[in-house]
Amino acid sequence: MEKGNSPFKFQVDTWNKFGSGYSGMVVAPTGFGKTFSVFLALISDFLTNPDKYKKGLKMIWITPLRSLSKDIAKAMQEAIDEIGLDWAVGVRNGDTDPKVRQQQVKNMPEILVVTPESLHLLLAQKNHQRFFTNMHCVAVDEWHELLGSKRGVMVELGISQLFHYVPKLKIWGITATIGNLDEAQDVLIPYDIKKTKITAKELKKIDIISVFPDEVELLPWAGHLGQKLADKVVPIILESKSTIVFTNTRSQSEMWYQLLLNAYPDFAGQIAIHHSSIDAHLRIWIEENLSSGKLKAVVSTSSLDLGIDFKPVDTVIQIGSAKGVARFLQRAGRSGHSPFETSKIFCVPTHSLELIEVAALKEAVKQKVIEPREPVVLCFDVLVQFLMTLAVGDGFFPNEVYERIKKVYTFQEIRDEEWKEMIDFLTIGGSALKSYEEYHKVVVMEDGLHKVTSRKIAMLHRMNMGAIVSDAMLKVKFISGGYIGMVEEYFISRLKKEEKFILAGRVLEVAMIKDMTVFVRASKGKALAPSYLGGRLPLSSNLGHFLREKLSGALNPKAFEKELKFLHPLLANQEKRSHIPKEDEFLVELIKNREGYHLFMYPFEGRLVHEVMAALIAYRISKLAPISFSMAMNDYGFELFSDKEIPLTEDNLDKILTRDNLMVDVISSINSAEMARRKFRDIAVISGMVVQNFPGQQRSNKALQSSAGLIFKVLENYDPNHFLVRQAYTEVFNMQLQEQRLVEAFKRIEKSKFILKYSNKFTPLSFPIKVDSLRQTLTSENLDARIQKLIKQSGRNIKDE
Amino acid sequence: MNIATKDITIQNEIFTLTNQRALFWEKEKALIFSDLHIGKTAHFRKNGIALASHIMKNDLERLSILIEYFQPEKFIIVGDLLHAGDNSDVDTFCEWKNQYSNIKFCLVEGNHDRISKILEKKLCLDFKADLLEINDILFVHDFDKSNSKFQITGHIHPGFVINSSVKKIKLPCFTVTSKQLLLPAFSEFTGLDTKNIPKKGMYFVFTDSEIYEI
Repeated sequence: MEKGNSPFKFQVDTWNKFGSGYSGMVVAPTGFGKTFSVFLALISDFLTNPDKYKKGLKMIWITPLRSLSKDIAKAMQEAIDEIGLDWAVGVRNGDTDPKVRQQQVKNMPEILVVTPESLHLLLAQKNHQRFFTNMHCVAVDEWHELLGSKRGVMVELGISQLFHYVPKLKIWGITATIGNLDEAQDVLIPYDIKKTKITAKELKKIDIISVFPDEVELLPWAGHLGQKLADKVVPIILESKSTIVFTNTRSQSEMWYQLLLNAYPDFAGQIAIHHSSIDAHLRIWIEENLSSGKLKAVVSTSSLDLGIDFKPVDTVIQIGSAKGVARFLQRAGRSGHSPFETSKIFCVPTHSLELIEVAALKEAVKQKVIEPREPVVLCFDVLVQFLMTLAVGDGFFPNEVYERIKKVYTFQEIRDEEWKEMIDFLTIGGSALKSYEEYHKVVVMEDGLHKVTSRKIAMLHRMNMGAIVSDAMLKVKFISGGYIGMVEEYFISRLKKEEKFILAGRVLEVAMIKDMTVFVRASKGKALAPSYLGGRLPLSSNLGHFLREKLSGALNPKAFEKELKFLHPLLANQEKRSHIPKEDEFLVELIKNREGYHLFMYPFEGRLVHEVMAALIAYRISKLAPISFSMAMNDYGFELFSDKEIPLTEDNLDKILTRDNLMVDVISSINSAEMARRKFRDIAVISGMVVQNFPGQQRSNKALQSSAGLIFKVLENYDPNHFLVRQAYTEVFNMQLQEQRLVEAFKRIEKSKFILKYSNKFTPLSFPIKVDSLRQTLTSENLDARIQKLIKQSGRNIKDE
Repeated sequence: MNIATKDITIQNEIFTLTNQRALFWEKEKALIFSDLHIGKTAHFRKNGIALASHIMKNDLERLSILIEYFQPEKFIIVGDLLHAGDNSDVDTFCEWKNQYSNIKFCLVEGNHDRISKILEKKLCLDFKADLLEINDILFVHDFDKSNSKFQITGHIHPGFVINSSVKKIKLPCFTVTSKQLLLPAFSEFTGLDTKNIPKKGMYFVFTDSEIYEI
């Protein structure tokens, strides 16, 4: 609520419903004061019925971002002071001073702002129930960000525990618009209590503007447009009050920071770079200066997707594809924050084909088609962690907790055997037949209470709570002193001597690595930007749909979009060399050149689905004749490459692209064990099988380090039915293979008309895939045969056999 | 289990490399291996990480088969026999070892081998020292630059990445240079270090069924 303005209708509705005892969910775009809808509801209810409220904690406010907590608390405190209440608003998270935390334990503030992790840490305290007895409400801010992630499951579990302590607790969620709002509400409030959904009628106006390069190349090349477009981005920044430049990866953000500085050296000191590897203090400094309007621009990753309103920001620039409608809207909404201002977002393509995506986005925004956030189910790793948390706190009785867990949305389908396995895992290590001598985690007391008695185990657990799993990170410090940020160990370990790297916009040279710290000196010249393994979000299926639609009509002379007009030469080239698929067509290209034989297909279903499809098609073709492929893919399509001729013709295409036996063939085609092993990494950390943080640098702890891959191998060999191994495979099917989306895609493809085109040159659609480096192989040869082949390929000889 | 072997000549001595992570020296009738890390899983269990002791039992079974095959008269363990002092896995190991009381047991101490007097007695070691020298060949846990003699070492858990344009495969290996023979870790519950292995050597990678020189 802006001071002095009259409240919006949805705010008043929220206050009324809250007053009459409802729980619920508020749906409103950013910048319309959704925070104040729920927060002021509590205040107004208190002012009407002060006798209902007793001393102590009244509301817990859960926010996904630590960096948000402080500002939310400040805004709340100001409002409370203005009203003239003597309430205190406290913040509790990883950044909170231990002194303040102790004070809170003695004397809880009226409102406590927490993250999902810090809520669980509270639940890991002894005798914690006393904090919550006079609580009225738990509120979850930015619920759409948490839903569908394991942190969301932490919120669900945390609420179930609070609801158990306070049966009359009101549960409120605040969310931006997503495709499955009703489901989102069911996940947040699965309980049989009075609940309601309040949707703001107010709409945010958005201006979407494409940034065009001077000329269109005939073959687009992923990433190489940057340099040329930096010159176009500079004036946009200069003409705006303050700008956020969003990129998709940290390496891209480092690159663009440099590009902008090179293009306009006067930016030095006026622009900054913000991503999660940058020192927290520096980040806070950047956020503060963005708020106060002192910074002209900030180049950022998704680290600024959420967060407080940066009032001066009137322009957002998106570099590359936003990958989804919801994410695009979220980012656009970061500019023009006040209710009736227009959000302005400039789209800068990294290759020219991305301009079609802008046209597709405009259409999706116009039609208000926004992706759903699918909730995750049966995350045993998070549940194991939660049970440990309870055991570290006051202990728990399994039967009593089980009844509660079954009500939590994520675990509604849990089976009794699974629950038993989990309790066995915590108490004896695994099934009773296996040998787990000396295992010591949760101890069963005489009265049946499950409790952690070892101080060391309790401490290890507290230090490792949470569901965000990061690679091993190394601190980066100047050898002369001064902290710069964090960098993945993976990246540093691949760096050759003499190679320089970029962090926080600085070129650095490694001096030495010691005690998990990289000591560096400032340097100059060419350097590598850390490429991170994560951050490769696939295109959403909604956006894929609009993309196909726009492309199919692209050469229609009536097409009026600027983007399509601009791309005309490139699209005409595609039509000339091959074909532009219409909406009811599916394009397949066979390209033969000096290198060998390339097969391209264009489903426009996003990278992840293409990864699976590529393996599947490779498998089906290899059944026709023995052949090995390497694969590459992007969000638009995929490539199979072989040194042999690919036995694909118009006659067998329908057999290769059939929906029959789809999942059977998928399972035969992929290395599901390898995929599961990758998924197991997070599971191992969350469930406590791999310990990430150790107290201090005690030597004895080094002996506890192992990799998730090693543990996965061991479990697969000796306990293949382990519930955490099963979870890894389930995650592969749901998240990696995206079974549902795959089936839908094949339904559509099956109905399409197949267009097979031959060429000896790359086409505009195929070229970006070709240059993409994510390569995989499918081959039916066994390991030993493969090794011999690889050794030969790499130019070394097997000396005798 | 398939034992694949490859003979190599070092310092005029013939050594037999195996794909089962051990080395046999025919002339000395010695089975040589490194980094067994007995007690690693038990140490994990003690600290609340559930790993069954099958892993170690499997390692010991493998060792039994090797003993059957080569009929050695002594073991030379090039360090890291134990992982973290005494625990229940060490008991199991001692029971296993009692079957082979006729085989001489020599331990070159590694960084993990923090062995108390009591533990030393329990393990029934025939020899324990920082290094062992036989026929001008030095057995030491980690390579000692200051010593010019040829050294057989462990410690690193070496692995080798085979690269091609399309795929990478990481395998454990023996590494041989003019100064050193680096053994793979005997225990399967160990990671692979592909960075810190000696450069410009011969690399012998192996799989469950074969051993290859690269």
